[in-house]
Amino acid sequence: MEAVFAVWQRDVIKFFRDKARLLGSFAMPFMFLILFGSGISGAMQAMLGGDSGGGALADFDFVEFMFPGIIGMTVFNTAIFSALSVVQDKEFGYMREILVSPMSRVSIAIGKVLGGTTVAVIQGLMMLVFVPFIGVSISFIMILQLIPTMFLVAFTISAIGLLIASLLKTAQGFQMVIQILLFPMLFLSGALFPLNGLPVWMDIIVKINPLTYSVDMFKDIILDPETMSAPLRQAMGLDIEVFGHVITFLEEAVVVGAIGAVFVVLATIRFSKTEA
Amino acid sequence: MANIVEVNNLKKRYKDLEAVKGVHFAVGESEIFGFLGPNGAGKSTTINMLSTINKPTSGEATINGFHVVSEKNKVRESIGLIFQESTLDEKLTANENLLLHCRFYKVPKEKREERIQEVLEIVDLSDKRKQIVETFSGGMKRRLEIARGLLHYPRVLFLDEPTVGLDPQTRNHIWEYILRLKKKTGITIFLTTHYMDEAEICDRVAVMDHGEVIALDTPDALKTDVGGDIIEIRTADNYQAKTEIESNYHVDVKEADDVLTFQVNRGSEFLVQFVREFSVEILTVNLRRPTLNDVFLHLTGREIREETASKKGRGH
Ligand SMILES: Nc1ncnc2c1ncn2[C@@H]1O[C@H](COP(=O)(O)OP(=O)(O)O)[C@@H](O)[C@H]1O
Ligand SMILES: [Mg+2]
Repeated sequence: MEAVFAVWQRDVIKFFRDKARLLGSFAMPFMFLILFGSGISGAMQAMLGGDSGGGALADFDFVEFMFPGIIGMTVFNTAIFSALSVVQDKEFGYMREILVSPMSRVSIAIGKVLGGTTVAVIQGLMMLVFVPFIGVSISFIMILQLIPTMFLVAFTISAIGLLIASLLKTAQGFQMVIQILLFPMLFLSGALFPLNGLPVWMDIIVKINPLTYSVDMFKDIILDPETMSAPLRQAMGLDIEVFGHVITFLEEAVVVGAIGAVFVVLATIRFSKTEA
Repeated sequence: MANIVEVNNLKKRYKDLEAVKGVHFAVGESEIFGFLGPNGAGKSTTINMLSTINKPTSGEATINGFHVVSEKNKVRESIGLIFQESTLDEKLTANENLLLHCRFYKVPKEKREERIQEVLEIVDLSDKRKQIVETFSGGMKRRLEIARGLLHYPRVLFLDEPTVGLDPQTRNHIWEYILRLKKKTGITIFLTTHYMDEAEICDRVAVMDHGEVIALDTPDALKTDVGGDIIEIRTADNYQAKTEIESNYHVDVKEADDVLTFQVNRGSEFLVQFVREFSVEILTVNLRRPTLNDVFLHLTGREIREETASKKGRGH
């Protein structure tokens, strides 16, 4: 326990110490939400509802739609890049200090995953500073729902990150692998635009992408789809169907949690083989 | 004297390279034991096997009575390690590095503060406790690592080339700290170096070359084995001088950089007579006790090159 805590604590201390990274983490979401989102939302509105029609889709607010996705993206980015520290520790030598200590490898791996998880949750919550600028309303209850959801998502992604980091020796290699994974996972998750009418092969990728369910959970919490009309929900891509069944929030949580469980085991096994 | 480190026919093979070829030795409690040898001799590989980092290909070793393969964690609790390359987290403060180490090694909470103060005092870093390690000089980082290695009260402290990459003055300081440490705590110190002069502080030295321990004794005994004192002369005619010395005194004369070197017993007495009766004009003359460098030369016919190990290369 002490070991898990120690490894976790180090990552958290370093997260708060790195002011540049902390500030920089707002850059991407800012660009997506304010520049890209606001820019495109006019065009989207024109295409979807039109000014004249005033139909069911007139309420489609693209920035609002994107906000849960941006939270998902932030949690995802932070969690996966937190594993970069594992590779950096190998490069800069600190991994030896860790590995020659009597701590068990399992504790170290768990500490690392929890460290990444914590940092990602904090970072995700920090995205709420955008709330006043984009016209969504966030209640206290929503925040209470967001925290455990973020935790679950961040845990799963951190575990995936640790597995990748355990397989690689250099930070450069790690960054390359993540770049290759990042964009497809992001684009095919519904985080940045609604996924409707996709070709079958793309739809399959969407459905096996853990980020899809993660982002949908954030949308469920923040956008409150219950109160929306069916066509609007449809246009926003909020009803994810798997084998003809519209998947519920709870089912999504189970899917993400299960993926996390599998990866944390794989990552731990793989990490345990790390040579000092 | 009880043996805290025992090594029996320890071997390590990397593919087609036998890095350590079956070494034998034991280190006594509170001893300063040194591994001396050129780069690539197998010093780090041996230390890595003893400290559970590398698995031996065959052979056995125990530290503090614990087996390095089957009782890894017990061994890890018994040793402190200072590697050739830094393993500090430079983004953290000295204090944070030390506190994390306490956690890693389960130092009881109520003892942490006292121990941190104690080890920082040994290496004279008490006033730097709150500073980020990044701002430290190379020597300070080394000292901090030594301090950290002591926090869990190990029985043996392993130092792999502890002064590599440091300037000579800082190197001297590091050795002062190590000697002070030994005096204060009686900890067993196991170190490697390829600097001859540094091996002098050891109680015993194992000379290593090509994966083998080729000699093991106190520095004095090793030097005595070389055979007497060393005389270095420069003359007006080195060729003639060399021939004359070899035929008159039946010793082997080596020539390097214009200097003739040979060994004799009871150098002081010899020198007086030698200068009186030698026919070639002598320009300079020097009499000295053999150094460990002479020991290595004597044993292998080569000098240990005093080049610094490449800083970035992972020499393990
Ligand atoms: N991981 C490794 N794989 C292959 N060869 C290695 C490895 N580590 C060390 N060696 C080789 O083993 C020999 C001994 O190296 P080392 O123990 O680092 O020497 P020293 O510490 O005395 O300079 C060298 O020839 C080195 O190249
Ligand atoms: Mg070495």
